[in-house]
Amino acid sequence: MNDHIVKAYDNELKDLRSIVSRMGGLAEEQLVAAMKALKEIDADAAWHVRASDRALDQLELEAERTAIGVFARRAPVADDLREVVSSLKMTGIIERIGDYAKNIAKRTLAVNEAAPVVMPQLLEQMADEARRMIQDVMDSYVHRDAEAAMEVWERDEALDNLHNAAYRQILARMMENPSQIGALTHFLMIAKNLERIGDQATNIAEQVYYTITGIMLEDARRPKKDFTSTELVEEQ
Amino acid sequence: MLDMATKVDPMTDSRTPKMAAKDVNVFYGDNHAVKGISLDLYRDEVTSLIGPSGCGKSTFLRCLNRMNDTVATCRVEGNITLDGDDIYDPKIDVVQLRARVGMVFQKPNPFPKSIYDNIAYGPRIHGLARERTDLDEIVAVSLEKAGLWNEVKDRLDSPGTALSGGQQQRLCIARAIAVNPEVILMDEPCSALDPIATAKVEALIDELKGRYAIIIVTHSMQQAARISQKTAFFHMGDLVEHGDTTQIFTSPKQERTRDYITGRFG
Repeated sequence: MNDHIVKAYDNELKDLRSIVSRMGGLAEEQLVAAMKALKEIDADAAWHVRASDRALDQLELEAERTAIGVFARRAPVADDLREVVSSLKMTGIIERIGDYAKNIAKRTLAVNEAAPVVMPQLLEQMADEARRMIQDVMDSYVHRDAEAAMEVWERDEALDNLHNAAYRQILARMMENPSQIGALTHFLMIAKNLERIGDQATNIAEQVYYTITGIMLEDARRPKKDFTSTELVEEQ
Repeated sequence: MLDMATKVDPMTDSRTPKMAAKDVNVFYGDNHAVKGISLDLYRDEVTSLIGPSGCGKSTFLRCLNRMNDTVATCRVEGNITLDGDDIYDPKIDVVQLRARVGMVFQKPNPFPKSIYDNIAYGPRIHGLARERTDLDEIVAVSLEKAGLWNEVKDRLDSPGTALSGGQQQRLCIARAIAVNPEVILMDEPCSALDPIATAKVEALIDELKGRYAIIIVTHSMQQAARISQKTAFFHMGDLVEHGDTTQIFTSPKQERTRDYITGRFG
């Protein structure tokens, strides 16, 4: 795309893009760190994740100020308008991802208070899938690749399936070991957090797709494969 | 019977274009200023013509009421209709045409007459008023529609040129309205006005849009976005893109449109 006649306008948009990218990278790091702390039952590391969330909050504010400045000074239209609006929405979404990572860290601390419980293996798979979704969608953003964004958007189904499996696995363990219900409930919530992170990655994909093409992806509803909110598990 | 049922009243119908340009070409001597432009203009819409200087938008606008007839070197080809009738037909009375297709210019140009006579002039020469009371009525209603009545009703005898720039422009709009036009052409009507006067003219355009087809040439992207329902982007004599204003300003289809409205033209 050609540069703006006004160079300062390009710089402002560049600043905004850089904040969004930094936030994406940070959110991914937070997720990895939270899952590592959970797996290694490391309270110090979990505390660190909780404290680090502030950086994402700060960046979100910075993005908001930058975007409002662009609106006020440039009255952006067309691609620029889509870019600025999407940046605002994306930073909000990424901040939410950070909140989910922080919540995983909080639950790690709670899980550690009682007798240690082995982390359900599927959670690791879920986290890995969620992390790759964040990474790939942020790559699609940086490289302006609408197809790649669409590909991430379609991948949410796999994570939903993993979540359904993890949900059942954890419930089965609860029935087998009622004494661990407290800790396992936290794992259940962590699985939900990971599933939500995947949803947020698809939300980012929608924003990236819209920024590049001007077409709203949510017009074509994504197939929802997460049944855990409507399903009851009956005792066998 | 069938004829009655299918007959469309051009004054109220909004589906058939009020004016339609088909393959219009304009030359100034050897200069091909407008290149094969086709564009439909509707009664209940404001259409903005945007584009860089020299892109042909004002030239095209001036074809719509044959203002280009006054330019000796200017040649217009193609077909332009008003309610289906060719406006370049030799039988067309141009004075009558310009009453139906009124025009407001960039710089307010009131006649060096009283406010009253500025408005009364057109209806008088077109024989729209039989008595003085009819004329009073037209003057009052036109000023009312132009949102100027309250500001000038106590000084209708003062010269129009004594009004502020913004008031003068609204006086010119009232003057155009006074002869019951069907289409109003505006050539950068706010470029000589301050933001408050501009806002008043824009509010007025918004008020008027249900009654007239309004076509406005503007250099302000934001003004086009604010006041028009349709936007046409001209560049080097071509009509590059034409569509819903919101679509043009959020997701233009053509790269040239995008580059122009976002300020990327080299």
